[in-house]
Amino acid sequence: MLRYEMIVIGAGPAGLSAATEAARSGMQVVVFDENARPGGQLFKQIHKFFGSREHQARTRGFRIGENLLKEAEEAGVKVVLNAAALGIYKNKEIAVSFGGATRGYRADCIVIATGASENMMSFKGWTLPGVMGAGAAQTLMNIQGVRPGGRILMVGSGNVGLVVSFQLLQAGCQVEAIVDAAPRVGGYGVHASKLSRTGVPFYMSHTVVEAKGSDRVESAVIAAVDERFRPVAGTEREIGADTVCIAVGLSPMGQLADNAGCEMSYLPAKGGYVPTVSEFGETSIPGIYCAGDAAGIEEASSAMIQGKICAAAACNSFGYINDEEFRERAEAYGLSLSKLRAGMFAPQNKGRTDISHTAEGYPLSGSLLQRGYISQDEIEAFPAARPGSGKGLRPVIECTQNIPCDPCQDACAQGCISVGGDITGLPTVDGDRKCTGCCMCVAACSGQAIFLVDEDCGNGSGLIGLPYEFLPLPEPGALGLALDRSGNALCGAEVVEVRKSAAMDRTAVLMMKVPAGMACAARFFRPADGRQACRGR
Amino acid sequence: MRIHEHPIIEDFKKGREIGFTLDGSPMRGYEGESVAAALKASGVTTHRYTSKLNSPRGIFCAIGRCTDCVMVIDGKPNVRTCMTPLAEGMSVQTQHGLTPRKEG
Repeated sequence: MLRYEMIVIGAGPAGLSAATEAARSGMQVVVFDENARPGGQLFKQIHKFFGSREHQARTRGFRIGENLLKEAEEAGVKVVLNAAALGIYKNKEIAVSFGGATRGYRADCIVIATGASENMMSFKGWTLPGVMGAGAAQTLMNIQGVRPGGRILMVGSGNVGLVVSFQLLQAGCQVEAIVDAAPRVGGYGVHASKLSRTGVPFYMSHTVVEAKGSDRVESAVIAAVDERFRPVAGTEREIGADTVCIAVGLSPMGQLADNAGCEMSYLPAKGGYVPTVSEFGETSIPGIYCAGDAAGIEEASSAMIQGKICAAAACNSFGYINDEEFRERAEAYGLSLSKLRAGMFAPQNKGRTDISHTAEGYPLSGSLLQRGYISQDEIEAFPAARPGSGKGLRPVIECTQNIPCDPCQDACAQGCISVGGDITGLPTVDGDRKCTGCCMCVAACSGQAIFLVDEDCGNGSGLIGLPYEFLPLPEPGALGLALDRSGNALCGAEVVEVRKSAAMDRTAVLMMKVPAGMACAARFFRPADGRQACRGR
Repeated sequence: MRIHEHPIIEDFKKGREIGFTLDGSPMRGYEGESVAAALKASGVTTHRYTSKLNSPRGIFCAIGRCTDCVMVIDGKPNVRTCMTPLAEGMSVQTQHGLTPRKEG
């Protein structure tokens, strides 16, 4: 029986990070993954990540995946693909199936980093081809390069539902609507806003009750739900769609830990049935660790740190790093993790509906929570979202919830923007500093919530710089409509300039000219020729 | 259904274009992509019909968890098409219950 010092199960963000950390400290490590490609779900993530510089914020998920693979390779980590771990037995023996045979391995320590699976919901017609997980749609479009459908109904307004909806628009699909049985949008307001302004409607307190069609989805019926989430008769509405995507949460895949005999418990805040772990990720069985979504649903950035913490603890217990070194690493990783686990959407706040104000004391936008966009009068309560009174372009930051993110303050070379030490703080704009109109803050904002605005650029016009990640990219001189935050047509608009550079990493900035007085409300551009990959309703 | 131009993804690293068959009819796809993706790109949505109710099933999770997308591949039933790389000359058949033929 082959023996390794550390066996990691799962080559996603948590597993690869654990393996790299351990291998760098001298441990002999192997990673098994049942998939044909490593990286877990990271390579499907084409959006810019949140967090701080230390968490690789504003870097797109797949690039973080590429870095992770490179680091693992450089550290000498061995990754065995198409290899499914079948069970963990006494004395840390693991059965792994690959190459048509089942082989036994023995480990000194094990890191379970098996990730999560998508939750599902059943309704009439839910087995029809065309009903699929949001993750399935993401795999098809972002990995395989095939559109999952033409007209999509998204069920679920958590970050997965919102992020995948936006990616569907980027892939050239039409998102007909987003429905959620909850009365409030579950994911980040900035993710909802970037969908709303393209015209995607949100139906909160609604659910899907039927997928119709003979051999595939031809339409979907949605209905309002009462306070106990039961569909209300007479509120049904039929939506033309060929695809229904389900994004109703994730569940940890802790089966291997359970099978190994680790103490398990059902923790709603962690998304389900998870092994009980110490602060260093060790389960009730010494030497068996669990990291990432398998230990509790969070996101990739925290999974990577959790993986490193487990590995540091394992390295310490096997003498590869001394106690002092371990304390230093654990403290640094713990601090980094705590920054991500803060703010309104922190795991400890999961399911809370009583948060009414930001940490700064500004009232949260009710319109954002109920309709997916901030109303004009609500946005004015946020100082950073008010255009400056002086001449010239100013950053207008429509970031109204406490989420862990601060790339905007690094992006501005002039020091106009600051978030402060607490990365969940709302950014502030220093009106005394000169904005050069470089657009780097617009491109750096992972939530696409920053605009450059000049309310009066002369000749009765206002100018807006807005983030744009769709094809075809309008040419300078393109005419069309300016849409407001809700996606409604506001006024005529002309694209006068298109900014793009390598540093902006494929987030173009459209400089859009509108009639004076409209710059405070215009937030998206729809070309008049209709040639736009991005189509909301 | 294929995405030819994408604002973020530069290249969907595809293998060479190859031929395979679906229920005996010639199809085209790219080597190494999932069989499910190749079918989706050609507009095929039904992968199988269930044995009891004869109801259609297609892609559901696309990561090998749910087994809804299984088909008969090179004569072998219950193969997960989302996890199986497409190969030249592959025979893909719609699965009825457990076989490639409609029963009764």
